Amino acid sequence: MKAGWRLFSGLSVFYFLVTIIYWQVGGEALGITAIMLSGGLAGLIGFYLWFISKRTNGVLPEDNEEGEIADAAGELGFYSPHSWWPLPLALSACAAGMGLLIGWWLTLIAVGGLMISVVGFVLEYEKPSAVSGHH
Amino acid sequence: MTTFAEPTAALSSSYAAGKTRKESKGRLFVKWVTSTDHKTIGYMYLITSFTWFIIAGILALALRSELAAPGLQFFSMEQYNQIFTMHGTIMLLMFATPLFVGFANVIMPLQIGAADVAFPRLNMFSYWMYLFGGLMAFAGFLSPGGAASFGWTAYAPLSNSQYSPGVGGDLWIIGLALSGIGTILSGVNFITTIFTMRAPGMTMFRMSIFTWNALLTSILVLLAFPPLAAAFLGLESDRLFGSHLFDPANGGAMLWQHLFWFFGHPEVYILALPFFGIATEILPVFSRKPVFGYKGLIAATIAISALSVAVWAHHMFASGQVLLPFFSFMTFLIGVPTGVKFFNWIGTMWRGALTFETPMLFIVGFLITFLFGGLTGIILASPPMDFAVSASYFVVAHFHYVLFGTVVFAMFGGFYFWWPKMTGHMLNDRLGKIHFWTLFFGFHLTFLIQHWLGIKGFPRRYADYLPTDGFTWMNQVSTVGSVLLALSMLPFFVNVWISRNSPKVTVDDPWGYGASLEWATSCPPPRHNFLSMPRIRSERPAFDLHHPNVHTEKLH
Repeated sequence: MKAGWRLFSGLSVFYFLVTIIYWQVGGEALGITAIMLSGGLAGLIGFYLWFISKRTNGVLPEDNEEGEIADAAGELGFYSPHSWWPLPLALSACAAGMGLLIGWWLTLIAVGGLMISVVGFVLEYEKPSAVSGHH
Repeated sequence: MTTFAEPTAALSSSYAAGKTRKESKGRLFVKWVTSTDHKTIGYMYLITSFTWFIIAGILALALRSELAAPGLQFFSMEQYNQIFTMHGTIMLLMFATPLFVGFANVIMPLQIGAADVAFPRLNMFSYWMYLFGGLMAFAGFLSPGGAASFGWTAYAPLSNSQYSPGVGGDLWIIGLALSGIGTILSGVNFITTIFTMRAPGMTMFRMSIFTWNALLTSILVLLAFPPLAAAFLGLESDRLFGSHLFDPANGGAMLWQHLFWFFGHPEVYILALPFFGIATEILPVFSRKPVFGYKGLIAATIAISALSVAVWAHHMFASGQVLLPFFSFMTFLIGVPTGVKFFNWIGTMWRGALTFETPMLFIVGFLITFLFGGLTGIILASPPMDFAVSASYFVVAHFHYVLFGTVVFAMFGGFYFWWPKMTGHMLNDRLGKIHFWTLFFGFHLTFLIQHWLGIKGFPRRYADYLPTDGFTWMNQVSTVGSVLLALSMLPFFVNVWISRNSPKVTVDDPWGYGASLEWATSCPPPRHNFLSMPRIRSERPAFDLHHPNVHTEKLH
């Protein structure tokens, strides 16, 4: 994690530095704003990674130079074996975009589809029967 | 001493069962469209983006045939505009960018020893957004007014509803905005995967260079694509609802250029970095040496990513409204880490036991071609020289050397290199060599002459020229080259077709000197990638496993 937050914080500091230089040499408003926001984005992620590494407090197996594969043994985590939901989710998102060109009726249908797909996507593995076990 | 440590968690047994059962076509189709396997999704990305490469290549042939003689042969001016617009759009946003997502999907989790990416279903969602968004942008060709015709840069006010009416432009904007969402989500997915799913012992400074470059490319995606989405939504709001964001009366023309190129320049590095990574994976394997200057390469990649947000306005020198010294200096500066990379690549090959199998040939082709593009880039970074050739074929030649050199040469290098890992079959080396040499000569015949064409004054994006201009023979050389370039795809297709029947690869590492972790699992890998994993003590875990008697020098 150390390399992670240092990478993002370093980028953030650099972007803020460039913002100041660009502003001082007479850059235009959009560029100043855009580089500054880039610094903000990198800083946000850097801060989060730093915060998490403080909280986990200790070396993770993947950051341990002497780490053994067995250190991460046990439950690997849950992996969705396959899922239908990404397809209707993307279809309704794209239909919503098409609705701008074809007509509001399509946008309305697409937003309905989008809501159903989001709920389906998010709650796919929330059913009590599917919580335990791998597949 | 045990070299292997078996993970105790039960891995999916469906792979072993699936191998023996003959699957029907319908079942296979359902398996692919509902897949959450990073490898399958990666293959879908690679196949789809390669299909777009062929489509945009055919569009390029249409452009070259129109330019083969003075006068209008095949297309009207408007059709020509549509064709070059869609050629550029498809090549950059529907071929090269998703090609990165495809390679990173297939290879990166294997290289860090992960079972999948962090968000497998989000991964599939990204793919669908890319596919549908791309089809929407391309569907403009079927609309009454034809496809978008304002160039892939969509400069305001040309791209507004007054100068570019018709639904083709709207489809282009909305389609690309939607597919951009997919790209952003892929970036999030890759960063999370690299930070949270590495195998024990796989510290950040043991990751392969390809994985490092995929990480920094993903960061650039996060920085570059949201401004593009903002620009697209603003432009569409101008076109549909009559807002005046990009109205030249209140500075909208420059606003668009700044926003577009704030995306556009990091985009160039989004296209370049992953393919630099592929080159760095292939060079050490065929030089039988560890990569030279591992940390230097990482530092160079970080420096490129850092500087890439501060060079965008070198695309706007000719506007006369940007800070020339600042952007010129920054552009020269970003050439330094790129030079460091070249130094390291040559250092890797230096005194190595080189062999020139097809992947290595393609990477040497990449080095030569990209070097030319880099050198003309230095020329263009100097405003006085840029003014002289701006918007001419010199620029066209420059960016084709940069982009074709990195993306296409490294892509084919990667295909030949990882084909056994992806399919379990080797591609034929002799056909691969024929493929390489026709591609290499075809490419240079097409684009080298365009430098002089540009210096003589032929502007880009023109459908026509006069016989008295003296451009005819140069354009004809270029057109002949483009036909050779197109023909070079045939040996590749034949190769892919016959490789189905070539003997199965039974070893983990058919090249013999593979370094990173993907060479420590079977070809192709099982559903969750590893049945067993070697201990990771250097940035070459697979090499350490297969050559335990060779001592990898501790580099840090």
